[in-house]
Amino acid sequence: MPVRLTRPTTLVLFALSRGVRHGFDVLDATGLPSGTVYPILRRCEDAGLVRSRWESVRVARDEGRPPRRYYELTGAGADTLRAALERYPDARAALDAPVGVPPHPRPA
Amino acid sequence: MSHPVDAAPDGLPPPPGLALVRLAAPLVPRDRRGDWLAEWAGELAWARDDAARRGEPAALTHLRLAWRALGALSDALWLRRRHGASDMLSLDVKYAARSLRRRPGFTAVVVLTLALGIGATTAIFSVVNGILLRPLAFPHPEQLVFLRGVPTDGDVEKVSPGTSYPDYLDYRAQTSSFSQLAATRGLEVTLTARGLEPSRVRASLITPNFLATLGITPVLGRDLVDGDDDPGAAAVTVVSHQFWQQRLGGTAAALGRVVTIDGIPTTVVGVMPPDVRLLGDTQLWLPLTVGELELIRGKHTLSVVGRLKPGVTRAAAEADARAVARRLELAYPSDNVKRTVTVEPLRETIVDDTRPALLVLLGAVTMVLLVGCANLASLFLARASARERETAVRTALGAGRGRLVRQWLTESLLLTLGGGAAGLLVAWGGMRALLGAVPRTIPRADEVALDGPVLLFLLLVSVVVGLAFGVLPVLQLRRGDPSLTALRDGGRGATAAAGGRRLRQALVVLEMAVATVLVVGAVLLLGSFRRLVDADPGFRPDGVAVMHLQLPAARYDSTTKVVRFYEQLRDAVAAIPGVQDVAVSYEHPLSEGWTSSYVIEGQPQPRPGTEPEARVRPVMPGYFRTMGVPLVAGRDIAEADRMGAPGAVVVNEAFVRRHFPGGDAVGRRLHRMAWWPGQPETWTIVGVVRDEPFEGLGSAGQPATYFSFAQFPFNEMWLSVRAEPAVLASLVPALRERVWRLDRDLPVEQVATMRELMGQSVATPRFNAALLALFALAALLLAAVGVYGVLSYTVAQRTGEIGVRLALGAGRGRVVRQVVGQGLAVALAGVALGVGGALALGRVLASLVVGVSWRDPLLLGGVAAALTAVALVAAWLPAWRASRIQPAVALRGE
Repeated sequence: MPVRLTRPTTLVLFALSRGVRHGFDVLDATGLPSGTVYPILRRCEDAGLVRSRWESVRVARDEGRPPRRYYELTGAGADTLRAALERYPDARAALDAPVGVPPHPRPA
Repeated sequence: MSHPVDAAPDGLPPPPGLALVRLAAPLVPRDRRGDWLAEWAGELAWARDDAARRGEPAALTHLRLAWRALGALSDALWLRRRHGASDMLSLDVKYAARSLRRRPGFTAVVVLTLALGIGATTAIFSVVNGILLRPLAFPHPEQLVFLRGVPTDGDVEKVSPGTSYPDYLDYRAQTSSFSQLAATRGLEVTLTARGLEPSRVRASLITPNFLATLGITPVLGRDLVDGDDDPGAAAVTVVSHQFWQQRLGGTAAALGRVVTIDGIPTTVVGVMPPDVRLLGDTQLWLPLTVGELELIRGKHTLSVVGRLKPGVTRAAAEADARAVARRLELAYPSDNVKRTVTVEPLRETIVDDTRPALLVLLGAVTMVLLVGCANLASLFLARASARERETAVRTALGAGRGRLVRQWLTESLLLTLGGGAAGLLVAWGGMRALLGAVPRTIPRADEVALDGPVLLFLLLVSVVVGLAFGVLPVLQLRRGDPSLTALRDGGRGATAAAGGRRLRQALVVLEMAVATVLVVGAVLLLGSFRRLVDADPGFRPDGVAVMHLQLPAARYDSTTKVVRFYEQLRDAVAAIPGVQDVAVSYEHPLSEGWTSSYVIEGQPQPRPGTEPEARVRPVMPGYFRTMGVPLVAGRDIAEADRMGAPGAVVVNEAFVRRHFPGGDAVGRRLHRMAWWPGQPETWTIVGVVRDEPFEGLGSAGQPATYFSFAQFPFNEMWLSVRAEPAVLASLVPALRERVWRLDRDLPVEQVATMRELMGQSVATPRFNAALLALFALAALLLAAVGVYGVLSYTVAQRTGEIGVRLALGAGRGRVVRQVVGQGLAVALAGVALGVGGALALGRVLASLVVGVSWRDPLLLGGVAAALTAVALVAAWLPAWRASRIQPAVALRGE
């Protein structure tokens, strides 16, 4: 099922392209509610625009919390994002300076 | 890749919002739930730690995370919509379809059972709905009533259901329950037009308010209005939509056209809407002109239709009308003695005669559906037991009960919807066949369609059946702990199956009982029908054709003209080569005609209004010879019995039985009022003939008086011709030609052979008998399948046990006997129950059955024996299979 290129979808993909990786970080970066962002992530993952992994259990345990899932853009996702940005050129500006969250622990 | 959610480190309380996420978790499809919960737990825990690092107030963090966790609900719902239900459903359907394909026999039997059950039910329901249940197509049909004249003492012969015009006026003036009362009378008129063959059409004489009472407004032109019925007013008519289209070109120019009706130029003033079918094939509505005849108070020939005022009940209106009827009876004792009225729904008036037959058929079809459903229940139950082990294995492997329930439901719904679809086809075909075979005597048949409510009914039946049987195995599943018992049982299913087996046996007993009732009913109807057809009709029908003629009163206005025409016609027809005999008569042997009163000379004089009535059937000499009605005493009417000569009348045996039990009728005399100048008032009985079946084949003889036609000439007569049966049909053109040579404006309707008329007269009983026979056959087949199913299943369950017994030396004959014996027990129980039911229901059938006792022990015994035999055959097959069990194979199966 192809993903409908809505403005929120564009924002989510753009955020991922800028190195935002975790669900809650995407929420912070885009300002969209969680009820919107998560279904977008699921849909994009089903469509092969995004893939998800789990961070290493060891890293999480070191920080005393459960492991987090992270998302990254696939090649197809990057192509789609280019097309989406043509439709919503203002998406770049809407996602102002990426939030100051450093890319968190590397995958195992 | 997945992570268990409890990988969270110990010590810390769960992050805020996690409780909400857990609440939403059951919505997520099972295979994704673990990952999903882990992801949300991971994010929430991280967010809490992060907030703590940033020194955010704890309360704010709680709020923020709770808000985010709410989004988990959308997330879960989205996943469910996308990956949950639909995927599971398609999987369920796929699995169900595969499992059904693997048992083609079971699937076919179920679908066929349903197709027959649902299909037949719907076909009949459509017909019953169209004819009996659907309200008439008029505004507020529930307000429409018919005023039926009834006797106060139950002597129906003296009181016709009609009402006379003076009485009608009194009802109109003196009742207060009706917003409208209108009257009508049907008749046939001759229509002539330049360049066209003259034709007879059905017409209704109506009071000007009649159409308004029903709520009908002409689509073109105007309704009849007060004044149209004045004797001096210009003749006008409202025509049917069909008449307008077929004869008047279907354009507005038709208004004002003049058609000639019974010789009178009549102006078309209005056109009826297309769908007014209640009134049969009436083509013309003419104002009821109040002439001399209409003013006779004793001429009760009008049908009075009323519309109740809003809020007035039928009972109240009846009390109102009866008070008037009582006053009329007292005021006009000679015309209205013992006459009162009932107020009945107009719909009932129209479908009155067909009601019992249709209700019996509806009952029969319900029984077939019942047998079908019992069969399905039994099949599903057997299947559930057979799959107990599969269920147990799947439960043990972790399938949830909900999952299994869905699986079962999917399977049975798939089956029932398939059966419903097949049933739809059967219903459609069945209804068409039914309507094709419907005798013309059933009213409103043209209104029947496989319509919305009927389809809804079909779907409802189909879904209810599906759900009910989907739930049955689940009910079994809930009993005890199936997984353990069934697994330990090793598939023999001995424990749970015992209850199930009893239930199935009860179902089969029920099936046999219902089938017995239906077969008894069908045999009764068939027997009654055979008697009708085989009975001596009282005349010789072969080689006789009849033709109906009506001389327009405008041109044939004297008895001399009428008599001359018919005698000339008789002589002309007799000269046609091939014609053996010809006669003219009023009505033919299978037609009811009407009655009139008389007084027998030398017998006690009856009180006024209670004179005896007999059929009035004027005949020409030779009628009895032509029809083959045996003369049992005296002589036939003779040419000399003419106006001016003493009155001569032949009576039938029923007449003799009524008045002269001693048998010496010839020479006795009767008196009746003269209707024409010169007509005798005293009639001598000159002969006695056998009874003709006026009320249809097989009916009891009714007293009849055959007056000499020359002394009792009607404009409307029937010409009957006897010829070699082979040449009969080829005479028709010659017959028409002879009529038109005498009068080219006279309509000649179809000439019918007596054989054709006999076929029509038994059409309704034949139709009923054939239908009930079909239902009985269906029920019998279904019941046989039921017996077979239960025993097959029992044998399959007991394969091991039977194997052991065979290995230990039990004879194969003994095994067969045991299984057959079991089937026999079930069958006998069912048949006994059924015979009881048939005796109880026999009264219902009594109204449809002529000359056959529904308590005939020979008949009941025969049906019982036949059904038991069918059950034995059905039982023998599984028994034979049981006896072929190889002990070694059976024991290995253990």
